[in-house]
Amino acid sequence: MDQVPPVTRGRQVRSLPLPHRCNNPRNPACAHCGTVIIPSPAAIMPLEDTPSISVGSWTIESRKRPILDTPALSQWESEHLPGLGALPEMIFGGNYVRIRCDLDESKHWDIEFNALDALREVPTEDSGVRVSCASDWLRSKHRRCDGAPPQIAKQYDWTYTTRYRGTVTGCPLVADTTAELPLAMLAKPDPILFFDDMVLYEDELGDNGASMYSCKVRVMPERLLLLARFFLRVDDVLLRVQDTRLYVEFAQNRVVREWKRYEADYNEVFKRHRGGVPPHRDLRALLRDSNWVVDHLPIVERTCETIQL
Amino acid sequence: MMDADMDVPMQDAVSDQLNPSIMEDSGTALQHTVSNTNDNNSNNNNNISSSNNNHNSNTHGTNSNDNDEDDDDTYNDIEFKPGSSGIADHKSSKPLVLNNSSINQLDSWIEKLAKCENLSEDDVGRLCKMAVDVLQFEENVKPINVPVTICGDVHGQFHDLMELFKIGGPCPDTNYLFMGDYVDRGYYSVETVSYLVAMKVRYPHRITILRGNHESRQITQVYGFYDECLRKYGSANVWKMFTDLFDYFPITALVDNKVFCLHGGLSPMIETVDQVRELNRVQEVPHEGPMCDLLWSDPDDRGGWGISPRGAGFTFGQDISEQFNHTNDLSLVARAHQLVMEGYAWSHQQNVVTIFSAPNYCYRCGNQAAIMEVDENNNRQFLQYDPSVRPGEPTVSRKTPDYFL
Repeated sequence: MDQVPPVTRGRQVRSLPLPHRCNNPRNPACAHCGTVIIPSPAAIMPLEDTPSISVGSWTIESRKRPILDTPALSQWESEHLPGLGALPEMIFGGNYVRIRCDLDESKHWDIEFNALDALREVPTEDSGVRVSCASDWLRSKHRRCDGAPPQIAKQYDWTYTTRYRGTVTGCPLVADTTAELPLAMLAKPDPILFFDDMVLYEDELGDNGASMYSCKVRVMPERLLLLARFFLRVDDVLLRVQDTRLYVEFAQNRVVREWKRYEADYNEVFKRHRGGVPPHRDLRALLRDSNWVVDHLPIVERTCETIQL
Repeated sequence: MMDADMDVPMQDAVSDQLNPSIMEDSGTALQHTVSNTNDNNSNNNNNISSSNNNHNSNTHGTNSNDNDEDDDDTYNDIEFKPGSSGIADHKSSKPLVLNNSSINQLDSWIEKLAKCENLSEDDVGRLCKMAVDVLQFEENVKPINVPVTICGDVHGQFHDLMELFKIGGPCPDTNYLFMGDYVDRGYYSVETVSYLVAMKVRYPHRITILRGNHESRQITQVYGFYDECLRKYGSANVWKMFTDLFDYFPITALVDNKVFCLHGGLSPMIETVDQVRELNRVQEVPHEGPMCDLLWSDPDDRGGWGISPRGAGFTFGQDISEQFNHTNDLSLVARAHQLVMEGYAWSHQQNVVTIFSAPNYCYRCGNQAAIMEVDENNNRQFLQYDPSVRPGEPTVSRKTPDYFL
């Protein structure tokens, strides 16, 4: 059609009821009896992208790979994150953004954003949040059950809310609530030397909303800005955004990290903006867009830290 | 701070699919969306061009922020009434019989849809009326003969559906069973579901389309099909017709009396396949009860029945699957509903298999897709496939840098 299919892709057109022949080379027939041997599923799409850039003593690199495969997921589940009852459906476990400063030949400072460390900060106790139909659903189960009603199998924060602000190697940043991001510097249209944008993990909350931790970075000649965002939407229940902004002024070796938490009730936001949406916009679609949401939620918490390297 | 109209990267998957710049390339026939990493080639996310402010939940929040007192008035903005499309107003008392003229009409629709061009609203109405007269006569547990190729979620990834037919063999030469979730999330839900329904009406004994949890009025309003219909047709009529049709889709299938196929999983209220036959399935997917469970539940490593910590939805353990297969003399439960990197995954010591047929899900997960062939001797084999990549195009697409703050 639009390409010459590789050999493994092609299939003979066949009419029924011809016998069903195995022509998948990955499913070999047994040499003795001819039975098709079905191997364990294997993923073969490990596309990888690893751009990087250096500015002075600073190096910024990122990596993007597909979501974790089943063996890796099992390992994360049992070894790395045993407290979580279930891991997010989509974990881009090979993705990271790393910002590194070489202070001298033997000493460096770096901060990395990756999915594993982000998920390590997801609480392993009940978040208290329930999907919108939960009370009706649970009530109906209690009504129908003769014996003990079924229990929630394992408590953990199924919204995957994390306070993760990056993994620092070297001196930690120091709290400094008076510090601010230099927005005027960032608003300048300096050329962007490097830009990347990636998801670290994502879950659809069983079609009850969305939970996503994503990261983007832009590097200009004199500075960089990284935004790591956790966005949660529980339909008809809750909206939450937690933004980490990391700012580096290269020449001064100065780093500022600001963290803000925004949160509001879904239906309150819905009601407040129901009338104010232009006719060509769908409010539900806007509520799926974290950029719109963050502009319409109140800030409920803020911290700021700095470090001079 | 950030302008929603200027910036994409921090949005969720659902917003991505609303990107009109992607939609416009549907004019290029059979173009494959090329983005094999967790990136997609959208650069902006404006023009979400639907106009509903509706809020269709008839559920009630249970957290401290409960606001259900005026849920009722949120129905006002659109007609949510099942059956309002009229496609089932003049149902036939016997299954549709095709004549030369209807065959020609269906063939011309299929030819058009295969180029990823959608049908006119009137034609969708005609198609849905015909489909009602096919689907209303199918059983809740649709019996299927072998050989058959069993497929999982497609989610509006039309070009990957075409790839599926290349891998699995063209329909109707190959029998197909799809286990639901044709719409939402991908860019081409309308074309995907139109194509599958047209194939169903044209070859009713060669293709079976079960209902997934996304084939529902409520879910399609949240996850994209509703918006897509508004954008492509300028009104919700096509959405109403299809969602009215979804009520008639069968909910399970039984392949050669051995493989029980359904979208989600088992239900504590269903111990035998016969109990599924007694359900009244022609309705919106309910919020609880056996039909809800069959479309929503998930297998779990923990034994017995579990309740999701989200507060709704069952999980079932290996003991449950083994018992169900034993009671009903089955060899396997085949289901879809969950993304797996390899396209399929065994669980419960091969009592349950999950099949997922949307490669590079949401155009950025990088996962493979799979389908399962069951031959005359009940041998099973899986065919895995990747999203199609057009030669000469980069496999990694990068988003345009933006001055986010």
